[in-house]
Amino acid sequence: MSQYKMTASTRNVLFGAIGLGLVCMVLTWFGDDGNHSRFWSNFLHNSLFFTMIAAMGLFFNAAGITAYAGWYTTFKRLWEAYSMFIGIGLIFLVILGLGNYFGWHHLYHWANKADVETDTILKGKSSFLNNNWYLFGTIIFGGLWAFLAYRMRQLSLTEDNHGDSSFKYHKAQRVYAAATLPVIGFTSAAMLWLWLMSIDAHWYSTLFAWYSTVSAFVAMIAITILMIIFLKFNGYLSVVNSNHLHDLGKYLFAFSIFWTYLWFSQFMLIWYANIGEETIYFKERYNNYPALFFINIGLNFLVPFFALMRNDVKRKIGSLVFVSVLMLFGHWLDYFLMIKPGVLITAQHAAHGHEAATEGAAHGVEHASNFVAGFTMPGLLELGTFIGFLGLFAYFSLWILSKAPLVPKQDPYLEESIHHHVI
Amino acid sequence: MSAVVSPIRKPLITGNKTYHQITEDLISPTEKTPTKAWIIGFIIAVAVATYGIFCIIWTIWVGIGSWNLNRTINWSWDITNFVWWIGIGHAGTLISAILLLFRQKWRTGVNRAAEAMTIFAVICAGLFPIIHMGRVWLAFFIMPYPNTRGPLWPNFNSPLLWDVFAISTYFTVSLLFWYTGLVPDFATVRDRAKGLRRKIYNTLSFGWTGSAKHWQRWESLSLILAGIATPLVLSVHTIVSFDFATSVIPGWHTTIFPPYFVAGAIFSGFAMVLTLMIITRKLLKLEDYITIEHIESMNKVILLTGTIVGVAYLTELFISWYSGYVYEQFAFFNRALGPYWWSYFGMMFCNVVSPQFFWKKSWRRNVTLTFFLSIVVNIGMWFERFVIIATTLARDYIPSSWSLYSPSWVEIGIYVGTMGIFFTLYLIFVRVAPVVAVAEIKHILKTGGNQYVGENAKSHTHHTNEH
Amino acid sequence: MANTQNTELIFGLYDDEEDLLRAVKSAKKDHLEIYDVYTPFPVHGLDEVMELEESRLHIAGFVYGAIGTLTAFLGMTWIFVKDWPTIFGGKPYWSVPAFIPITFEMTVLFAAIGMTVTFYLVSGLGPGIKNPQLDDRITDDKFCIAFDKSIVNSGDAESFFKNTGASEVNSKNI
Repeated sequence: MSQYKMTASTRNVLFGAIGLGLVCMVLTWFGDDGNHSRFWSNFLHNSLFFTMIAAMGLFFNAAGITAYAGWYTTFKRLWEAYSMFIGIGLIFLVILGLGNYFGWHHLYHWANKADVETDTILKGKSSFLNNNWYLFGTIIFGGLWAFLAYRMRQLSLTEDNHGDSSFKYHKAQRVYAAATLPVIGFTSAAMLWLWLMSIDAHWYSTLFAWYSTVSAFVAMIAITILMIIFLKFNGYLSVVNSNHLHDLGKYLFAFSIFWTYLWFSQFMLIWYANIGEETIYFKERYNNYPALFFINIGLNFLVPFFALMRNDVKRKIGSLVFVSVLMLFGHWLDYFLMIKPGVLITAQHAAHGHEAATEGAAHGVEHASNFVAGFTMPGLLELGTFIGFLGLFAYFSLWILSKAPLVPKQDPYLEESIHHHVI
Repeated sequence: MSAVVSPIRKPLITGNKTYHQITEDLISPTEKTPTKAWIIGFIIAVAVATYGIFCIIWTIWVGIGSWNLNRTINWSWDITNFVWWIGIGHAGTLISAILLLFRQKWRTGVNRAAEAMTIFAVICAGLFPIIHMGRVWLAFFIMPYPNTRGPLWPNFNSPLLWDVFAISTYFTVSLLFWYTGLVPDFATVRDRAKGLRRKIYNTLSFGWTGSAKHWQRWESLSLILAGIATPLVLSVHTIVSFDFATSVIPGWHTTIFPPYFVAGAIFSGFAMVLTLMIITRKLLKLEDYITIEHIESMNKVILLTGTIVGVAYLTELFISWYSGYVYEQFAFFNRALGPYWWSYFGMMFCNVVSPQFFWKKSWRRNVTLTFFLSIVVNIGMWFERFVIIATTLARDYIPSSWSLYSPSWVEIGIYVGTMGIFFTLYLIFVRVAPVVAVAEIKHILKTGGNQYVGENAKSHTHHTNEH
Repeated sequence: MANTQNTELIFGLYDDEEDLLRAVKSAKKDHLEIYDVYTPFPVHGLDEVMELEESRLHIAGFVYGAIGTLTAFLGMTWIFVKDWPTIFGGKPYWSVPAFIPITFEMTVLFAAIGMTVTFYLVSGLGPGIKNPQLDDRITDDKFCIAFDKSIVNSGDAESFFKNTGASEVNSKNI
């Protein structure tokens, strides 16, 4: 079977998941504080997480084409499908960007005009941290990613029908792939500063953009493994075998270690130098979110390190599924931990009005030490929202997959990929 | 390794080789009497190295006062050169380890020479911190061993001590990896030799027989060493970056340093590999093994890493403004517009702008341009370290202690001398050992393109499909 | 493989690794016990057709690495917490993040040295060791299968080599 067709039961399950997500979001909205911080932070968290996964699909496909990688051709349609989700993710992020203008949410401290006036640091940053940069950066840069993703997929589809031994469509893909790498390389950093790092508006770390990118990359590999196994169980992708899974397992393993390396570099340098402006980020998380702080490292480092060290594990479906599910959830938690503490401080700050403004972040820290549902730990509503977004992402990807042959027909590396054999 | 090869791939070995022809081509340079070019090169290298050693002895005899360091700029050429050399020493393990894991087969053409280069570069790098200690005869104090001084232990919390561990581990592991790869090739040299030469090469080859079980273990060992060398190679330059980044000095303390130093190291390492390989392939007539495809692939890595370094430069620059921290902002203002502005612009031009030429395919495949740019890149990477180290120190918190620095003849002599040491070792290496990994080239001969014409040439796809 | 003395070997040389693979397969089928196979480079798939056990070097490597981890981490802990506690830069005695780099390096160092030494020891290779050479061209372009004459008789071996297309057949005492 070369053409994927979504069965009614798959569709029902995914719609069920999306429905559950919607219900959870509605429930969150009504059980929320006056500014709906929990709702909006969940919305930001999941939108961003899945947009970054989609962007990583594009990025890695482009990297593979540029590096003449042949092994992944049999399932490259998956990454092409993920990359199309950038468009959906952007809609969500544009909603958040509009929210800055209209005061729908209080996720970003820098969006509060009154506070910026009295805060020297925020004022200094205001030519970058402002509503226009956020919205138009999202539209222009994100739109560029979506355009590149669209072109790359179109070329790949054209190759199916019109490709020949001159491989001219593949060569055209190479041009787009080569352009994609620096475009994402430069712009993703800028956008991650806006979307993510600016939640802790005073804080800064040069490594942050790369760190959060790699986190999404690991999640992307995990979701790819899960998707391949799902498709194989439904009788598709028979050309993808344990050798391909082995290599994906290696990527999951290697990039989990790379993620740990970046985590450690960022943490250790800030811990070591002990400069107040920087330590505030980890201090907040270490003091008020200790469980999440350690779960994050334990889940995202120790689990893949010990579980995937042996080669035979990377070829066993059961263990791969187990580790991939944990990795996907683990990096979702990592994003949770990047977003929530800062949002909570801003939210409490906004709720307490301006009398607290002069005391700044320290005031927020004091309040954050109590348990706050949906912030201190992800609750059921957060999990439900996550499942909803995951369902949307899966449904969308499968819908895109159903529109074209699952295995690219005329790709120059197809035979190589089919006969891929790991030593 | 897939036996089926995409029609879009270019052959990695050209010239229709057979196994025996490969042996001839790659082993014979070690058997002939040295060429005139080699002898002249060797004499120059040894002369330069001797001068460098003289300058080192001068430093030890007279003291560090013979350098132009001062209280403000207490690290300069010494540590710049150290970081520069250690960065160059990254390409070998990168090519052998990371490209092996990423299954980039073109690595086989250049890995042997690149690994050798790594080892020699690390030797040159290691010299600088040791001389810099001043009292080199007490250098063993840095090793943790129970001693009669307390026992007084080294400071395990210090990144400088981490460096000791990182660099000695890196040197040891690179050496083991390189030598284990060389053992079967030394056996090939041995089996073509007679008399004393045969005895010497038998010792060097550890009595290698080519037994299937040995090959199996050898492959397993190479793969695992590659696996652990991958995080190792990242850790080395990471720890070098910690030397700076754990401090609180504006311009040094920034979290992006670890991956950015690693990317820079790969960048300069590949540039040095290109410089050396372009000369070597010409002089030893290895154009069939180190093809234009190899050069193009390496140029792509140069372009990639150069751009990554560019992203890091801009990130640093941007975040220094974004931080709202005046000292941080001043550090970068000073880099770009201070007294050493030329080194900042040199760095930006050589490292970020110059690799962009490689977007053009025909320029990536132009050997002369590649050779020229590979040298430009290495100059740029030297500037980068100078910018980070000397420029930052020259303007510290207190304007009254601001200072300027230019190297003394001794410092210049030691730097130039390390190049002499490097080239002396490299020239000996090309005489003694095969510059291209013989067994590995034979291993990929049939899968590395359509150029194989020996027995089973036409039928090989069919047979390898069976298993 | 082992350096037992006075083993009489009969061996055939093949010109290509695919001939060799086919020959090894047919030797397995005919239940001829192979003394050893020698090749100029690692032939892909040879260990499978020879039914060699998987190398256990990686297990050894893991053990060596774990020893390195423990040595470094416990060593630094003992030194800085118990033997000579000192405060550096306001950090606690037991400053775990600062111990990570050295712990990592020692893990790699122990694993690499341990595995390499193990490899040479179990393979019987090392400086100054003189292993018997069947033919000088084995490290060049010949692929060799050897039988022990005391196990496989010469007639069987010769007809085997003839049938499988060996280009040369020789005998040697080692």
